[in-house]
Amino acid sequence: MACARVPLDEQQVTEPGPLGKERTLPALHPERKEERYFVPYKPPPADGSPAEVEEFLEHAKFITEDLEWLLALPHDKFWCQVVFDESLQRCLDSYLHHAPRGLDLTALPSSPAVADMQRSIHRVVFLTFLRMATHKESKEHFLTPAVFGEIIYDNFLFDIPKILDLCVLFGKGNSRLLHKMIENIFIQQPSYYSDLDETVPTVLQVFDTILEKCGLQCEGATAMGPMKLNAHRQPTAMTMSQQELVDIILYLCDSTTTIHAFQDIFPAACSSFHSHGFVSRLASFYEAAVPDLEKAVRKRNFDDKALQEDLWKRLSHSCRKMVETAHLLLHHTCLQPILEGQENMQTFADELLQHFTSLLPEKRFLSDYDEQFPIADDISLLQQALPVIDETRTSYLLQGVESAWDSVGRRKPQSRTKSKASS
Amino acid sequence: MSPPRLTGALRSFSSVSKKDDFTEQLYDLKTKRLKRQKLFAREGLTWEKIVRFCTEHQDKAKHQAISQELKNLLLAAKQIVGTEHGQEIIESAAVFLFETFHNKDHVGTEETRAIKQMFGPFPSSAAETSYACVARLLAPLRDSQVEDFIQIHSSRHSSHRGSTFGCNIAFSYDCYTLDPLEELPWSGIHEKSMNLDF
Repeated sequence: MACARVPLDEQQVTEPGPLGKERTLPALHPERKEERYFVPYKPPPADGSPAEVEEFLEHAKFITEDLEWLLALPHDKFWCQVVFDESLQRCLDSYLHHAPRGLDLTALPSSPAVADMQRSIHRVVFLTFLRMATHKESKEHFLTPAVFGEIIYDNFLFDIPKILDLCVLFGKGNSRLLHKMIENIFIQQPSYYSDLDETVPTVLQVFDTILEKCGLQCEGATAMGPMKLNAHRQPTAMTMSQQELVDIILYLCDSTTTIHAFQDIFPAACSSFHSHGFVSRLASFYEAAVPDLEKAVRKRNFDDKALQEDLWKRLSHSCRKMVETAHLLLHHTCLQPILEGQENMQTFADELLQHFTSLLPEKRFLSDYDEQFPIADDISLLQQALPVIDETRTSYLLQGVESAWDSVGRRKPQSRTKSKASS
Repeated sequence: MSPPRLTGALRSFSSVSKKDDFTEQLYDLKTKRLKRQKLFAREGLTWEKIVRFCTEHQDKAKHQAISQELKNLLLAAKQIVGTEHGQEIIESAAVFLFETFHNKDHVGTEETRAIKQMFGPFPSSAAETSYACVARLLAPLRDSQVEDFIQIHSSRHSSHRGSTFGCNIAFSYDCYTLDPLEELPWSGIHEKSMNLDF
């Protein structure tokens, strides 16, 4: 057993070696790892034939038993296993990759036994990640924070895709715990901020890829050179295969939900997204892709009407998440500092107004945004916090918002129009 | 196959995560079972302890019958693990069967699953035989005697679960579900998709 009140990374232990002779080793040492062989996770079978169900249950039982065993290990043995057992990391990774999300088409397991087993795995996987994100379990059991930061980063115990997976899988009901976990990870290892910064362009690339797949010109395309005359023959949302359309909408739904879950749980990430001009890129994407995808879902001939309805809901859900993401970003990067009375309030206010102004051409996005998060309310907040806000600028902006509603052929909800008029 | 996911794209196209080939199946169920059998053989109850327990607590006159039951249990264990294994693995399997059936009155689904989990597919007659052997071996003994013996020696029944990390954490199983911005009535989709091009 390791000694107390000394960080685990500085402890030495004396224990019998393979030949029975006593030896002294660092408490964190590969030879202290147990040979356990964690098996990788496989998702519940889609159609649920008895043999497949049985295989899933057997496989899953190994995982729950092994992870429960892991969670029952003392602090020092737990960390030896986590750092040196590659099969454990593969098992956890495979869960993050393949675990069904609540939004998946076939999210609900067919049998109660499968559902129960899936719930058991879900819980132990979360607790394992929670323990891996905790550098101090008690006064006696802890790691030096800087060493903890190195261990989790150098061994890829956490990385940005894993953190995003954790948010979308567990964030709905465990947001406070997840927030603490992720906050601790980022505090102890600031390199995760650099990784996040490096990841945002790839996230933006995902939106560009969707535009490209829908035959819509993406922002980067103009810079790549002249287009061939036959370039417009690329399939569009109306002409691509039905499976491709389904995949695109599923991809969009997953991407928007994941990004929103992450930013909602860990608002400190908003500034990284913001610094890459995420709001304006998202709004341009929305403006270009959403009408085409909506048209395709409405007008294409679906044999399976339930699928058509489901795609509509997913697209609509994605729209909501994109609007909410934009609001989260603007709120945390511009509005929140003003409400908190931070220094340079004027700069933040100017930035917020600049953002709203730059959204004026994106009329569909702007009207959807304004419907959920009335821009007039934010401007009113600004006017209360900073009485010197340029009124010509705010009036121009509000007129622009009204014009966006008109140009997409929609009317603002009556109650809001009235309340605005009376104010 | 998993549907297309953002994090899948990030793993493929960014340099912030470890590149792993998940199609490679390093640890199949057979390897896992063998590993479990070895782990089980290494700790807790042993065949010698079972032999001693069964003989010590019963009349000498019955020792020959007991010895025969123990042999039958070993034979059933051999059928379950396969003939290619050595004596050590067979004895360990017999220990597992003894532990599994010591307080059971039939071979139920739970027991069948536990044996399959440990050894893979097996002949059901071997499970029935081993159940009957264990029942006959323990019939003359008091239940509490047997329970005490198992509790003291068995690693499967040791109760160190109280200190498991996270046992007091309230975990929520809630997950994100579809939350559409705009629920169009089903008829709405149909109306708009109808093309009355006269």
